[in-house]
Amino acid sequence: MADQPAATQLFDIWKRQLEESTQAWTRLLGQQTPQAPPLDPAAFWRPVLNQGLETWARMFAQTPASPEMLTQWKQFLDQWIDAWSRALGQTMGTEQFAKLINQQLDAMLAAQAPGRKMFDQQVEQMLQTFNLPSRAQLTGVAKQIVELEDRIERLEDKLGAVLRRLEAREPR
Amino acid sequence: MGQERFADVVERFTNGYAGAVAAAAQASPETVKQWQQEFERNFKRLQNLHAMLTNPVQPQTGQTPREVVYKKNKSRLYRYASARTHRTPLLFVPNLGISRPYIFDLLPNGSFIEYMTHQGFDFYLLDWGVFGPEDDDLTVEHCVTRILPRMTREVLESSGAPDLTVLGYCMGAPVAASFVASHPEVPVRNFINMAGPIDFSKVGLFGLWLSKDRFNVDRFVDTLGSIPADLVKAGFKLIKPTMDLSTNLNLWWNLWNDTYVESFQALNKWANEYVAFPGEFFRQWVRDYYQENKLYRGELVMGGRRVDLRSITCPVFVVGAKEDYIAPPECVRALMDAVGSRDKEYVELPGGHISLIAGRGAAAHCWPKVSSWLGPRS
Repeated sequence: MADQPAATQLFDIWKRQLEESTQAWTRLLGQQTPQAPPLDPAAFWRPVLNQGLETWARMFAQTPASPEMLTQWKQFLDQWIDAWSRALGQTMGTEQFAKLINQQLDAMLAAQAPGRKMFDQQVEQMLQTFNLPSRAQLTGVAKQIVELEDRIERLEDKLGAVLRRLEAREPR
Repeated sequence: MGQERFADVVERFTNGYAGAVAAAAQASPETVKQWQQEFERNFKRLQNLHAMLTNPVQPQTGQTPREVVYKKNKSRLYRYASARTHRTPLLFVPNLGISRPYIFDLLPNGSFIEYMTHQGFDFYLLDWGVFGPEDDDLTVEHCVTRILPRMTREVLESSGAPDLTVLGYCMGAPVAASFVASHPEVPVRNFINMAGPIDFSKVGLFGLWLSKDRFNVDRFVDTLGSIPADLVKAGFKLIKPTMDLSTNLNLWWNLWNDTYVESFQALNKWANEYVAFPGEFFRQWVRDYYQENKLYRGELVMGGRRVDLRSITCPVFVVGAKEDYIAPPECVRALMDAVGSRDKEYVELPGGHISLIAGRGAAAHCWPKVSSWLGPRS
């Protein structure tokens, strides 16, 4: 148990390094230009991961042999995940990341829009050939039903209001 | 080079582990007993894992007895069985899209709805439903000016009460607040906001990602029509990327515990059942609420009426969660300064967005707080 503070110290050092690495990674992401080769996350993060595993190994070597060791291992993993979560949260909370994620979304939409249009047209043509209703036609019918329900509801409301007025006027 | 180092570390780790196990062989009887217990747990873990993989059980969620009071398109208004010792009915307005509302009645002895009905509240749940492409024209305004007025009228008619409490959770809170603020003629006795964002300038990561200068909501909706469930799922997974890892680690750790496994299966079923957004709803939600913060700034107009939060004068109770990354406490708390009520209270509880509504923490910290605040006012 005397080794516990040393292990905690080791882990704290690693956590600090993780945070510093995240900041460096964020800076790198921000400096990225479209012409530059894409960053390799594995090459960047592997040393950080290695150091974490080393800490883990040292902690295991120092811990007395009892099932409590497993609880410590679980706590270590929880802390590890928590540290990663905070580090990722920092990265995702930057302007650069927000820009990057929206660039990805834009690219997805740009790729999807023409393909989707073409696919829809082809499916519609095929359904027409077999004399079957298309998705758009079925959606149109469903929309009409929704509108009809809405109209009935409005009529019910008006009728209810008229009835309430009549009831109020009736002599008792 | 990197790979060699990684292998070295793994080897050192396994050597350390083997040494520890060897030392355990010469340990005290107490340690041996602990190891035996650990082996039994591991055996049970494997048994439960095998059962989960080979014979998955469909968890029985939503077991509190209820009846459908009203149907409108996909939406349903449910009334739950209860002793109804409190006179004022409670209308619960959850989020539209994203997820299904059975999280509020997950399992017996672990259900917000069951808890509230046991406390004697006349509980109504508005289930917005799962919308299809025919509902792509549905807007937030339609929900506020057509669906919510109708549902509140049905609550009042079926309960026979002169007024009601409105409780909004998550996105349901700003939508319900928009309704209460723009319909002063509806007799709302109390308003509760549970983890509902109000000041969207403080809404955290989603606010940053969906900001006007980066996210083109028009292009998004015009291309996709509705927002598919998979995309909603991707957004929520991205906001907490380590969530699945910690969920699975905790599952393995507690896999020997049958009660934990049952709750996990129910919660996991819910957590993976995402619901699409109707296109126009998403457009208005993102533009008016996230990008322009119109609700908090008092610039929202719905059905020709201005949505002014200051016109909410009934008692207000606001509940925020300390580690809520979907609706951070500061954006939830903002309702306190925005309303015109004198009787208002804010509590900030431990845990995250879901911890207010499901799980042991919710039952211990949140539900009794809501019940004890609302009871004397109902």
